[in-house]
Amino acid sequence: MPEKLPVEVSQLLEDAEQSIQQDKREIAYQSSLKATSLAPHEPLAWYLRSQSAPSSEEQLICLSRAYSLDPDFQDAKKELRAAVQGLLKQEPFLAYVYETEVLYQVRSNLGFLINIPKNRVFEKPYLQKDPGPLQPAYGWLYLSLLALMLGGVGALVLAPITAFQALRLQSLSLSRSDQVRVWILLIISVITWLAAIPISLLLLIRIFT
Amino acid sequence: MLTRLLYLSAIWFALSLLVTLAVGSRLRRGDFTLSMIWLAAIIFIGDIFALFTFGKFLEIFGLSWLAFAFGLFWIIRLHNWNAAGQVTWTMTLLTTGLFIIYTFMLTAFSPLNPISFIFALIFFFLEVITLLLALAHMHESLDVICRLQWQRLLYILDPVPDYEPMVSLHVPAYNEPVEIVERTLDSLARLNYPNYEVLVMDNNTPLEETWRPLEEMCRRLGPRFHCLHLDKWPGYKSGALNFAVTQTDPRAEIIGIIDADYEVDPDFLKELAPAFANSQVAFVQTPQDYSYTKKGIFSESTYRGYKYFFEVSMPSRNERNAIIFAGTMGLIRKSVLEEIGGWDEWCITEDAEASLRILKRGYQSLYIHRSFGSGLMPFDFEGLKKQRFRWCFGGIQLLKKHWEALMPWAHWVDPANKLTLAQRYYYLVGGLGWFSDVFNLLFALFLVLGAIFSVFSSPIQIRPLTNTILIIPAVFLLLHILRFLWVLRNRLKISLGMAIATMYNFFSLGWAVTLACIQGLIQQEGVFLRTPKSKTASRVWHAIHVTQWETTIGLICMLAGLLAFTTNPDGRTFSLCALLFWQGSLYVAAPVFSLLSLGGEAAITPRITDQGKPVLEQRAARWVVVISMLLIAAFSLLKILPSPAELPEYARFLPIDISIQQLLNQSESQSTDLPTATITVTSANCRSKPRGGAEKVTVFYNGQQLEILGKNADLNNPWWYVKIPDSSENCWLWGMTATTTGNLEEIPIIE
Repeated sequence: MPEKLPVEVSQLLEDAEQSIQQDKREIAYQSSLKATSLAPHEPLAWYLRSQSAPSSEEQLICLSRAYSLDPDFQDAKKELRAAVQGLLKQEPFLAYVYETEVLYQVRSNLGFLINIPKNRVFEKPYLQKDPGPLQPAYGWLYLSLLALMLGGVGALVLAPITAFQALRLQSLSLSRSDQVRVWILLIISVITWLAAIPISLLLLIRIFT
Repeated sequence: MLTRLLYLSAIWFALSLLVTLAVGSRLRRGDFTLSMIWLAAIIFIGDIFALFTFGKFLEIFGLSWLAFAFGLFWIIRLHNWNAAGQVTWTMTLLTTGLFIIYTFMLTAFSPLNPISFIFALIFFFLEVITLLLALAHMHESLDVICRLQWQRLLYILDPVPDYEPMVSLHVPAYNEPVEIVERTLDSLARLNYPNYEVLVMDNNTPLEETWRPLEEMCRRLGPRFHCLHLDKWPGYKSGALNFAVTQTDPRAEIIGIIDADYEVDPDFLKELAPAFANSQVAFVQTPQDYSYTKKGIFSESTYRGYKYFFEVSMPSRNERNAIIFAGTMGLIRKSVLEEIGGWDEWCITEDAEASLRILKRGYQSLYIHRSFGSGLMPFDFEGLKKQRFRWCFGGIQLLKKHWEALMPWAHWVDPANKLTLAQRYYYLVGGLGWFSDVFNLLFALFLVLGAIFSVFSSPIQIRPLTNTILIIPAVFLLLHILRFLWVLRNRLKISLGMAIATMYNFFSLGWAVTLACIQGLIQQEGVFLRTPKSKTASRVWHAIHVTQWETTIGLICMLAGLLAFTTNPDGRTFSLCALLFWQGSLYVAAPVFSLLSLGGEAAITPRITDQGKPVLEQRAARWVVVISMLLIAAFSLLKILPSPAELPEYARFLPIDISIQQLLNQSESQSTDLPTATITVTSANCRSKPRGGAEKVTVFYNGQQLEILGKNADLNNPWWYVKIPDSSENCWLWGMTATTTGNLEEIPIIE
């Protein structure tokens, strides 16, 4: 639930909005300036301040702040884009600072820190993905497949370990996908074990004759 | 029986493929009856040959019916192909299947010591994977040349009235020569389309004087053009392209990627934008064409090599909605790009990776088989090598990230995965195909070690070197080379000489691909190949220096083959020498092409993106050296362990070998040749009675020839009664340890 604004801040925001509508920019600026100092986490305050800001640089910074506080603030997002475009027309330089799931923070050549919306679904980078609870079982499976290629005897031991791991995992509360994976692990480990029997037999015959 | 069936199938395969190579591209009519007649004809011709030479009626009859039924299945299934393609595919599958069974039987039941058996097993698995990849190549070749009807291939799109969606063209640039980018931007300014913008995204170019002129250029070209320099930006090209999406005009519905060295045709957008009128189409790709400033074999074969993918692989993939988005000269729907989360900044072939994620969501892709622009090729072999390394590395990354989505059970694991079976097949084969070069190197290594041990008169016994194991792989190799040249000639419309040059151009990059495969598997993040730097200013020396590994491997192969043959000249070492010369030639092609690429300085030299951290070739190659050392050590160990002293019981299941004389003309051999046995194993015990446990009389060695005086009655487990050379005594030799020549029918059965 959004935090309730102090009465004083609400009043200031109302004043600023009305002043903007009446094109009293100086009054609007003063009200929004005060609102941002009293409630620096209020996106609307920053947005209203951007509407009456005396310079394009300050407008950009305020929009950027408003957007970072509320990435769903569509008006702020739209105007931020236009403001960034204006800045880039003057100086097409942006240096990377950091990024989150929804925005980039960049530094312009003039030293402004600007937040830029990403406008895309967040997809977790491959290397940051959680290996998941099935990882050890997969490890055993890879080993048993390797052992199968190296004469099969190792697979006779490793495939049942894979199957045991898979069975153990079934007792955990897993996602539907992981449950299917566990079954697949189980089936492949059984197939590997069955394939390993004749192959290891062929190897063992050679060892013991 | 198995050996005879394999030979019969191989005859069908060779026959059908040779006819396809001759007329397959000209046969434009498809008819079920015609296909059936052609299938029956191929089977009949093969049967007649087999009946008069090595075959047995009942076996021929049985396999022929099986082949016919199998052929009918494929004729029905591949109704879009001509008869030549359908029958060739049937016979390729049948022969490959039989050969796999044959090699398994040979591996499983040869009298080997345990280490030899493990090697034989590894070799068998490698062989199976290689054969399956060869099958995939065969399918692709036949699919594009023997196809009668294309369902999805388009050269031009119908215009859609009043549909001109806004397109945002993204031009990523890093440290690009200004004159190259200028030509690209000028061509974009001339586009015959009303509704587009161009974003030039320069990322991380260190010198301001390199990127500032781009800003000036954009100002000069008007309000459609926007320039942005991104400093200290992560994610390389993908990182910059992802940021470009945030700066794209909100009205834009389509995004196009244009490499900074591409000159684009004015009709590019006008012709392609209508594809997006269908809301299911997520991306469109056109061929990436190249203009080359230098003439010569290197440039032309490289150019043809690039074309191969867009002339062969893409049309085939397009029929199954399985193309890849190749980046430049392609368009992608912006909303879909946002839906999938943008370009992957981890994968260095972010374009191909994105296309897989798009197809996973069930969208459509489209390949327009018409070139709309041309870029610049790497001007020397070093550049080509680095580029191929990058592509392969990206392919392996894609496989690492998405392997599960390509498995048969992918739908059950992730119901949102809408990849079809064909899409999964093409992406899987596309990724695994890179490993062909790794297997090729391993085979070369096995052959070199075989030659070295042969020189020291102690040949390695991995599995018996039967006639079949010498003949059938040679037939496979030859036919697949012919098939490759046929595809190159037919699809690229080039002479035989240029087709051979293009083929060698492909193979000459095998070393770079091998390194990329290994690095792709072991490295967490993207890397690029750093070739060794030469200390002299000589360009010739540098050209040789950057291919030092390929030269070394190639020369080792050739020298080993030559040594093996000159030390012990016989049929077996001749085959080994020929195979090693072929393998060596694939690697020696690298320095040859490197030297050929020196023919004059290019007017403008394009840059090959070095994305990720550098990996020195010397370091990357250490893995190969280590694997080679391990193999040598294991092979030495193999020599320490003795081969089985007695003939083991299990050896009775070994497939019986057929001599070359029998294979070619049984009647001739019956009338002229003396029955002779030639030892094919390292050493073979000769016994007092025709059974494994009987008393050992003497030992024969590989290559020894013995006169056959008689045989046992058991046809399934033959023993030959042979004369011991320089002695008046005779003994029994087990049939599996030798190949035979001459008339075996008339020799007496000795009880």
